[in-house]
Amino acid sequence: MAKDPRVTRIEDLPGPKSKGELEEMKMPYEEYCKKIFDVGNEHIKPNALKGIKWLSCTMYIFTPNSVVNLAELGAEVIKIEMPRMGDAMRHTSPFNECYLYPLHDTRPMTGTGLGFTNANNNKYFLTMDYHIPEMREHFYALVKKFDGLTELYRPGTMDKWKIGYRQLSEINPRFIYVWGGGFGYGPKMFGGSYDILGQAHAGLASVTGMHEYMGGHATKHTNWIIDWESGNIITSGIMAAIHWRRKTGLGTMLEMSQVQTPTRLLGYTTTMYGKFGIVRQRWGNWDTQLAVHGIILCGKSDFPDADNPQDKFDARYVMVSAFQDADFKELCAITGLKNLYEKYKSRNQRCEGEAQVEIYAALEKWAADKSRSQVAKILQDAGILAEPVRNDREVYESPHYRERGTVRWLDDPLFGDMLLHSGYSAGLMEKTPRRVNWHWRPVGADNKRIYRDKLGIPLSKIQEWYDKAWI
Amino acid sequence: MCDIIWCKKKKDGKDCDTINYLDPYYFWNWEGTIACAECGTVYYIHMINGFMYKGPEERPGEKPDTRPLYADKPYDGYSNYRPGVEGRTRPYQCMPRSWLTGTADMVKFSIRGRPVRGWRPQPKSAGLAGTFGFNWDIQKLSPEVWEEYQKKLAKGEVKDW
Repeated sequence: MAKDPRVTRIEDLPGPKSKGELEEMKMPYEEYCKKIFDVGNEHIKPNALKGIKWLSCTMYIFTPNSVVNLAELGAEVIKIEMPRMGDAMRHTSPFNECYLYPLHDTRPMTGTGLGFTNANNNKYFLTMDYHIPEMREHFYALVKKFDGLTELYRPGTMDKWKIGYRQLSEINPRFIYVWGGGFGYGPKMFGGSYDILGQAHAGLASVTGMHEYMGGHATKHTNWIIDWESGNIITSGIMAAIHWRRKTGLGTMLEMSQVQTPTRLLGYTTTMYGKFGIVRQRWGNWDTQLAVHGIILCGKSDFPDADNPQDKFDARYVMVSAFQDADFKELCAITGLKNLYEKYKSRNQRCEGEAQVEIYAALEKWAADKSRSQVAKILQDAGILAEPVRNDREVYESPHYRERGTVRWLDDPLFGDMLLHSGYSAGLMEKTPRRVNWHWRPVGADNKRIYRDKLGIPLSKIQEWYDKAWI
Repeated sequence: MCDIIWCKKKKDGKDCDTINYLDPYYFWNWEGTIACAECGTVYYIHMINGFMYKGPEERPGEKPDTRPLYADKPYDGYSNYRPGVEGRTRPYQCMPRSWLTGTADMVKFSIRGRPVRGWRPQPKSAGLAGTFGFNWDIQKLSPEVWEEYQKKLAKGEVKDW
């Protein structure tokens, strides 16, 4: 900037400062995004959370996912597992036993199941029986060097073992302590939780699926969405705690009850009850606010000869959105249902329950002799928003996800060729992108690195602890 | 929470007084016989949704179907049998139940034809205290898979996607 504010210099004006910058500004926006995000080259860029060090006494999906968010953003995360057994989630595989080996040298016939996937990337794996008094001092030694810890035991368990927040904050006042579990303190303090319990307890399952008179039931999501989402909510709390510590120099404790998360996902449900006393209903594949805005069933599968039932029978659903008057008019015209348009010209008329039953039933009747891709194409060609409901294989084959790097192959340093999304499904960052270095490591794979290199424990001692199964 | 069998059987003139812990993951819906980790007394139990519907009833002479996950003796300073002690507590094989899952679906190559460690057993490769490096030297550790991979490469069976 010129010293005299009245002087205007060309270099102070907005706009390109060099030929390179000029070319960059001429670049179409899409090209510009491709250049700055540079999908596939994440590893040459800095890590956003480099320097943050976190301990993880976690199991299953919920709490590990809260920590893996940090690890994918570059924090150094040590997962402390039970000696020789590891996280119980390692032993939870999909039903056709998708295990990766080895789990641990003492157990050659046991592997880690793919249920462990995505919640443990980039972590270092330590084993320690931290509840025995002999290891307490070494646990404290780690706490002194680390920024925080996430744990999932029943409330007060770590406190009972003298490694709870009360004790650890004395040792390290900057320590951020996170408890994540079922109910937290309150009337159900000792209640454990699973994802399904969260979905049920907070009412999410009551509004998921079709209404009973349409053949539906209160439904849980197939995947563990409450586990995954609860973990994400914890991570946002951790980020805030880190920022708070930067300002005050003090650590804090976060207490996250898993069964709270679905209430967050329920949007206006509770507020509506508070205002009107209305208990929200299940509305399934349709929408209470918009019609048409739902998923319809077509008559023919796109892959009738496939072996996989998901392809053979289920490749029949299409999502359709034509809720604005003009779109609905076009939808009725293209499907030969002009009488429906005449009957339900306004959005309010279409959103009535009886109207939706009639409209969706008519659309499905129209689609009964067509395949999913035929229906999607007819609607898309008419300018209506429509997309096939894809399965895993189709997501894998989708150019959209490939180009953005959402689904990609990783040559895992220990386990070989693995298909993953994990960190890459969490959006793109220009300067400090998320990345996956490895999927997971065997139980205790980093024992020597941590006990010797971080804590200065002699190798003979490490061996002794190992023989006693303390580590 | 898991249920327990508190064994009160007399052994060598003393009460056995061992608490056998029944890990709920395996015992939630289960019927069969289980042996005390300390004295070997066989008990019959029938659990439904984690509730001890029947038992424990002693079944002398019967062969136990399984063993507890863990056991300890509160009147003996909480001396204990940790999981996986042969003949005492249930071993960790972690093989899913055959009636539920069928046989293990092991693989050596991913769907695009590149090596993946989805089979067992594999040679021991850890160092001190279970430590692993950051590289799977497939050529050294699993030469037969390496050879198979070379053949796949030559045949053009290895793809990018």
